Amino acid sequence: MLEPLFDPLVWLILLPLAWATLAFVLGPGRGAWPAIAGLATQCWLAIELAQKVGAGGVTNHVVGGWGAPLGIDLAVDGLSAAMLLLTQAVALPLAIYARSYFKLNDPAGTWFWPLMGFLIAGLNALFVSADLFNLYVTLELVGLAAVGLVAAGGGAQQVAAALRYLFATLVGSGAYLLGVALIYGAYGTVSISTLLPLVTNDAPRLVWIAGGLMVSGLMLKTALFPFHFWLPPAHGGAPAPVSALLSALVVKASFYLILRLWLGPLQTVLPAFAWLLAMLGAAAIFWGSWQAIRAVKLKRLIAYSTVAQLGYLFLIFPMLAAHGALEAGVMQIFAHGLAKAGMFAAAGVLIKATGQDTVAGLAGSVERLPVTMFAFGLAGMTLMGLPPSSGFLAKWLIIEVALAQGHWIIAMVVLAGGLLAAVYVLRVLRQAFLLTPASATLTPVPRMLEWSAFALAAASVLLGLRGVELMRLLGAMA
Amino acid sequence: MKRYSLVVLVLSLASAFVFFLGRAMLELGPTAIDLRAPVAAHLAESGVTHPVTAVLLNYRGYDTLLEIAVLLLALLAILAVVGEAPASPTRAAHPVLQALGRLAVPLMVVVAVYLLWAGAFRPGGAFQAGAVLAAAAVLLHLVGLLPGWSKPRLGLRFGLAAGFALFLAVAAGLLTQGSLLQYPPAAAGVLILLIESGLTVSLALILAGLFLLLSREAEA
Repeated sequence: MLEPLFDPLVWLILLPLAWATLAFVLGPGRGAWPAIAGLATQCWLAIELAQKVGAGGVTNHVVGGWGAPLGIDLAVDGLSAAMLLLTQAVALPLAIYARSYFKLNDPAGTWFWPLMGFLIAGLNALFVSADLFNLYVTLELVGLAAVGLVAAGGGAQQVAAALRYLFATLVGSGAYLLGVALIYGAYGTVSISTLLPLVTNDAPRLVWIAGGLMVSGLMLKTALFPFHFWLPPAHGGAPAPVSALLSALVVKASFYLILRLWLGPLQTVLPAFAWLLAMLGAAAIFWGSWQAIRAVKLKRLIAYSTVAQLGYLFLIFPMLAAHGALEAGVMQIFAHGLAKAGMFAAAGVLIKATGQDTVAGLAGSVERLPVTMFAFGLAGMTLMGLPPSSGFLAKWLIIEVALAQGHWIIAMVVLAGGLLAAVYVLRVLRQAFLLTPASATLTPVPRMLEWSAFALAAASVLLGLRGVELMRLLGAMA
Repeated sequence: MKRYSLVVLVLSLASAFVFFLGRAMLELGPTAIDLRAPVAAHLAESGVTHPVTAVLLNYRGYDTLLEIAVLLLALLAILAVVGEAPASPTRAAHPVLQALGRLAVPLMVVVAVYLLWAGAFRPGGAFQAGAVLAAAAVLLHLVGLLPGWSKPRLGLRFGLAAGFALFLAVAAGLLTQGSLLQYPPAAAGVLILLIESGLTVSLALILAGLFLLLSREAEA
């Protein structure tokens, strides 16, 4: 009887909800320690869950004891377990980072902790849900928390970016919800496991419309080119810990959902769009990289790099039926998640220390902030795809699968994208290695900021050496 | 003129979409699964006799739990954006309006309590009751009897979060029954009423807060 009481799957949702509520009641600026303690426990829970899934396959939790289609089911397979691991692994260092980043009475940090708690709860709930409507609720939770984090305490420009983000994310969830409503109209259920045998090749036209709506909405939320317009101002304008959370995790959540629909209930419908998505992905790589190369501001550069890196994720769709494509995509999610969190965190340190946020103003940073620049360089290594980083592994896997399938064009795009990433990363590093201008003064920054950025960036490189465990976990699919 | 042609383009695209959607919907036959039968069949175990309340608080109570989090989050996002500007001084409205307000609010409270109680067996429940209470607060504010909020103090924050926290605690506590939110049939009615009562208060505060926090902006 005690086993369900300690089911890690449920506590990954309940725990962040609990510390978010506690942080809200504690008041403005409070709640860092409950958050860090909660996230540390969640890390342990996610590892427990991954081991359980790795050993015994899919784990279920039947909420309310009713079972689908009357009730809501939660299910964790290898893909979900991997996403949960990434979420907790990125969130914990970022929480430690944010505690030092937001000084007392910083208006941007007033409600950071409850907002972050609801964001993490929404992400975890999204990754374990096996019900299309419940997934919509979790999307709302994630989207609203993310908008609140971007807008918090900012000036008119930041609030404008947040509003634009709000509209994009609402249109995205609205399209998804309409799709869910149409599917419910066609089959009378929103449970993924119940829908699986029902949606066949001769599905009514309505289901095709629903699939198109859901995927377009989620593309908007994932900021796939040309729907990326909202991302650079929102991710570039937010405080550094927020940018890191959004780039590393939030955009991946809607991508995960596309993947989930693709591999699950809509597997007969969606593959018709595979090449369209891959083409947009390729365009995203080129456009995002080009804009990153031209960017004046450091965080804008990193935000455009996110647009480019998200493009790789969509390259896998034409090959998804083949063995190894899913592994390549998830490896890219991990590589980009860890590296981009580390890079935004490092950028936050540089901005705090130099008091400005242009690339040109970074001259002399290597001399003054060696740890931070090392972190930036390591994260850059992953984005470029240099061995032994996880970025290298991800790109290698995509190229391998693409060549095995005869899609050499995809392999070319990946190689070109790596070169373009090298241009914008090295642009920052080159500037940082220049001699310090005599006039420049640096504000001292807490050590904790530098080292938590370093930990994330180092993890993105070291994961390349331990990729096999992650692959094995993904083997535990439904 | 360019703006005009854009409007025409958007309108024609939207109507084409509606047309195709409508045609596709008319093709549909009966659905493979009809949930009305299982909803009715388990009504006796659900603790309430109204099917909508049974779906909201029992069969799909987990959705509702997260929806309450979304509402609390909406208020939180507004708090984070507007900061801590002092509330504008309340302006007393015409005495007749004030008298009407004083008259209407007690009635609204009674209606809210009735709606909460009625939710178990007919249309009603925490959302409706909370909305009526929130409307009462807005009414009081508009006639100048209730000041706008500058920032929620501890007591108010507790009230805002209490309904959700109670729901969360019950959901977690029911894990001892085998899974999240698995009500034992005997206690389901009482637990649902407990959750709904907590939610009524917190939802009323949250919905009123959405108005009272922003009212200072309009007057500034």
